Amino acid sequence: MEILNLITSDLLYDLARGPLVWISFLILILGTIYRTVKLFSFTRKKKNAWPVSLPKKKAPDGDTDKSAPLIPKWKFTVFGAHPVMISVSTVFHVILFIAPIFLLAHNIMLDEAVGFSLCSFPEKVTDYMTIVFLVCGLFFLLRRIFIARVRAISSVYDYIIWCITVAPFLTGFLSYYQVFDYKTMIILHMLSGELMLAAAPFTKIFHMVFFFFGRFVLVTQHTIGKGSRTW
Amino acid sequence: MNEQKIVEIDTVKIKKRLKQRKAKMKMSLSVCARCTLCADSCFLFNNNNKDPKYMPSYKFINSIGRIYKRRGKVDRAALEKIREIVWKDCVLCTRCYCPFGIDIPDMIAFARSICREQGVYPTFED
Repeated sequence: MEILNLITSDLLYDLARGPLVWISFLILILGTIYRTVKLFSFTRKKKNAWPVSLPKKKAPDGDTDKSAPLIPKWKFTVFGAHPVMISVSTVFHVILFIAPIFLLAHNIMLDEAVGFSLCSFPEKVTDYMTIVFLVCGLFFLLRRIFIARVRAISSVYDYIIWCITVAPFLTGFLSYYQVFDYKTMIILHMLSGELMLAAAPFTKIFHMVFFFFGRFVLVTQHTIGKGSRTW
Repeated sequence: MNEQKIVEIDTVKIKKRLKQRKAKMKMSLSVCARCTLCADSCFLFNNNNKDPKYMPSYKFINSIGRIYKRRGKVDRAALEKIREIVWKDCVLCTRCYCPFGIDIPDMIAFARSICREQGVYPTFED
């Protein structure tokens, strides 16, 4: 029985660190390209759209109420309305991208596999980043459970996506510090990371691309810049 | 005079209509992160004790989202529930803000048009 367990775990380990990595990267890259191309095919170049920004003409002095307190512009943005949520969200997303890419262990493996690697952060830095990421993840989870407005539109799917996103970081951290059985944890880390990569183009994680498309390319009321396409 | 004509729900027609706008609808529903950052941009939400049912995302998910999830196979009771959401809880002021740029008003307007086509719409007595 023990031999069987050993063979299965070795097989799973080899599978997770070998072909599954490439398969998940392939799904991520091809899936993202496919869905982005689809986004462009669903939309068309804008024609004669109305101006999205007002002409920059200074109001005459008589029109402004000098006694009114000046409210900074950012107060009217989504950051002004939800400063904590936006700050946590920004930190969460930045770490989600940069921590795995510039992690020393990942780069060593990349170097061994293809003879090329990116620069790496010191391990202590990525350690702190992971802790911050997990705290941000916990913030999102608690928000989803305890805040009525978030709970009202949350489903099992949202919790699954939360698990898919947080699991690679949690298992990576635990395996680095060899908490629980190292081999099991590292296999879980690799599998969860691969699952996240493969799921990204086909789940709501695709908002990573849609955000830029929806805010910078599509012409809507909240387009940043001029935008160039419409549905 | 304002009595609504009771007509049979034509699910085939709904399915056909969904197909016409499938790309935008499917993409909008699939990328919504359920972040609720749209909530405060709705004046109805702010003026109804921040009741979640007035959130733009709640209205969009529970109207066109529900019709799409059932692939158009909705009964009159379901459409009547959706009617309450898309007409009573939303005035289509188009001021809702989505950080991802999802066109929520258009989705709600689409749900309205499907309901209207099926003879489900508000009357003056409502």
